[in-house]
Amino acid sequence: MWCEGRGRERNPFRCFCMGNQGNLTSNKTTLLKNTVTRFHHTSISHWCSCSKTISDEKYQDPFQLGRKDLKNLYEDIKKELLVSAAELKEMCDYYFDGKGKAFRPMIVVLMARACNIHHNNSKEVQASQRSVAIIAEMIHTASLVHDDVIDDANSRRGKRTLNQIWGERKAVLAGDFILSAASVALARIGNTTIVSVLTQVIEDLVRGEFLQLGSKENENERFAHYLEKTFKKTASLIANSCKAVSILGCPDPKVHEIAYQYGKNVGIAFQLIDDVLDFTSCADHLGKPTAADLKLGLATGPVLFACRQFPEMNAMIMRRFSKPGDVERAWKYVLQSDGVQQTTYLAQRYCHAATREIRKLRPSPEREALVHLTEMVLMRDK
Amino acid sequence: MWGAVLRRGVRGAGGLRCLSSGGPPWSQVVSEAEKIVGYPTSFMSLRCLLSDELSNIAMQVRKLVGTKHPLLDTARGFVYDSRNNLQMRGLVILLISKAAGPSTAELSFQHDMVSGIYSSQRSLAEITELIHTAFLVHRGIVNIGELKSCDGPLKDMQFGNKMAVLSGDFLLANACTSLAQLQNTKVVELISSAIGDLVQGIYYENSKSSEENCLTDDIGISRWKEQVFLSHSALLAKSCQAAMELAKHSAEIQDMAFQYGKHMSMSHKLHSDLQPFVKETSSDTMAFSLNSAPAILHQEFRGREAWLKQIREAQGKGNIVDYKKLKCALWRASIFQLQEAIKAGKGVTSAIDLCRCHGNRALAALERFPPSEARDALANIVYAATRFP
Repeated sequence: MWCEGRGRERNPFRCFCMGNQGNLTSNKTTLLKNTVTRFHHTSISHWCSCSKTISDEKYQDPFQLGRKDLKNLYEDIKKELLVSAAELKEMCDYYFDGKGKAFRPMIVVLMARACNIHHNNSKEVQASQRSVAIIAEMIHTASLVHDDVIDDANSRRGKRTLNQIWGERKAVLAGDFILSAASVALARIGNTTIVSVLTQVIEDLVRGEFLQLGSKENENERFAHYLEKTFKKTASLIANSCKAVSILGCPDPKVHEIAYQYGKNVGIAFQLIDDVLDFTSCADHLGKPTAADLKLGLATGPVLFACRQFPEMNAMIMRRFSKPGDVERAWKYVLQSDGVQQTTYLAQRYCHAATREIRKLRPSPEREALVHLTEMVLMRDK
Repeated sequence: MWGAVLRRGVRGAGGLRCLSSGGPPWSQVVSEAEKIVGYPTSFMSLRCLLSDELSNIAMQVRKLVGTKHPLLDTARGFVYDSRNNLQMRGLVILLISKAAGPSTAELSFQHDMVSGIYSSQRSLAEITELIHTAFLVHRGIVNIGELKSCDGPLKDMQFGNKMAVLSGDFLLANACTSLAQLQNTKVVELISSAIGDLVQGIYYENSKSSEENCLTDDIGISRWKEQVFLSHSALLAKSCQAAMELAKHSAEIQDMAFQYGKHMSMSHKLHSDLQPFVKETSSDTMAFSLNSAPAILHQEFRGREAWLKQIREAQGKGNIVDYKKLKCALWRASIFQLQEAIKAGKGVTSAIDLCRCHGNRALAALERFPPSEARDALANIVYAATRFP
């Protein structure tokens, strides 16, 4: 009864966003062409009017609402990292300096509250649900540490990376340690279902990293590959953490699916915008292109869309922008094309789907905060 | 011949693993034990070995041939290890599972027992090997900033690192997935904490080799034991305990299994450390680590200053010695002189005593298990690990 049926049939992107994991990618590829062309005809005002109705309801700053649950989050994470060697302890604590956005824990505690209210109007967050928020942030950080070694990255969040300061060997061990501590905390929740749900994230993260190694020749396959990678590397963590807190808060499997779908769609949108920012934010903020993904040989959303307009990019994608001048040329093509715009549109559709999912829950300030959060995902500029 | 080549290769890399190449008694002990547990012991699960990801890695690792990235040696070591039956962790877990026997508690969900071992315990044996292998791979990450021109192209080493991080992570993720499937959060907690222990243990090994100002760590034998417990014993000890938990054995039996795993692997490590000092054939001087038990004990008896003086004297004989290599493995003349110095002191005999002491504690833990073939096999492993010429 709490479902708001609106938009379900009207949305041409439905399969695109709601596909189950199994056939998610094949659906997406075939639909892509249609949806993209169709989107040209969908006026942006439609989307804006949607946002309007959302904002007209009780406005909630999600970060304000979840803040009390996240108080001492980083202190509590550091307590989980029990290490005797001082240097290793320093490395493990390094990114838990309280300067991160805590985007993932925020979604998780809001989802926990929304599900608890939906179930029995409970206004409390359970300790186990807060643990999930902590574990999600730890798994995320552990994977960042390893990614930085793999990508040979020098800086993150305005700091030097662990590998830059302490060397690759120790950085990898620090990542392993954070993961093991997350896993201990996970086991201590004492629920085998929760263990399975969050372990899936660890597997997806690694498989996503493998997907990033390969590239596909066929254009449609390439897009599916990109979306699958995006799901595994980014969205799975959010989707499965949301699912975990919903399981802890409410016995209804329908609610678990809503939580999962919300997290999945927000997660994919988040990464799509991230990929857009790789092309736009640097131009605005630093005045010079960074195009970090291109330099790593990665063809993200904006590139794949641009390639439709400039087929000469195909060869560059296949050689992973390895020839001198490739990165600069690809960069120019992307900005000349509507790749950035198209990727942003796509992210909007995922956010729209996330909103539709979460509105199936009983109304609550937290539910509205999660709706608002999807808008923030789209509007962020860094 | 192949084995000899590999052994030399591994020794060059740091001298840690070659020392455990056991003689005939060891392999005989193992092959008899394998018969008892009823399966041929390849603990790397087929699901994992046949995965797209690992075959992808195998393809990529080929590109490393001809470079100096340690991942190549590690990959070769997998073949070498399995041929020589050094994957003994899985075997020990199966043996102790069988030795403890079927559970007395009601186990509604696991009635699938083959050769007296529950399928969950077999999974656990696999998980333990996966974790161990993952860290063999992660141990071999290279610090890019410390590379010299003689190490070859930077790009190769970066690529090797990338492969090593990924393949280690892949093995760990597989271990986590199998672990979750055991449906026992106590076991998940035990094994996860063992991973943490292993990381800390390896971290100590690493920090030693990169510190510039001292040749050996100024640690006593008790500190050495703590570190070796983390790097060599914790995983096996906690896995043995977890195997008991899976069959719902009592807390006392769980503790005995832990004690066996701990002390058996401590004696195994001491046995390995002692090999360069007790081998009768001195034709081939074996490299040894200055942080191996006999050296640490020697330092404790002689005092740190006297030991550093001995090292400096030996260093003079070894001609031009790369300072960095000296720290892990000394060149021939130096090695020989230092070995003689340690042999002349009490380091070797007290390391042998310590090895036997741990062996005895492992055997004492076994006493709490009912007599069986499996228990005998576990005892034989201890005898092999405490046998010296």
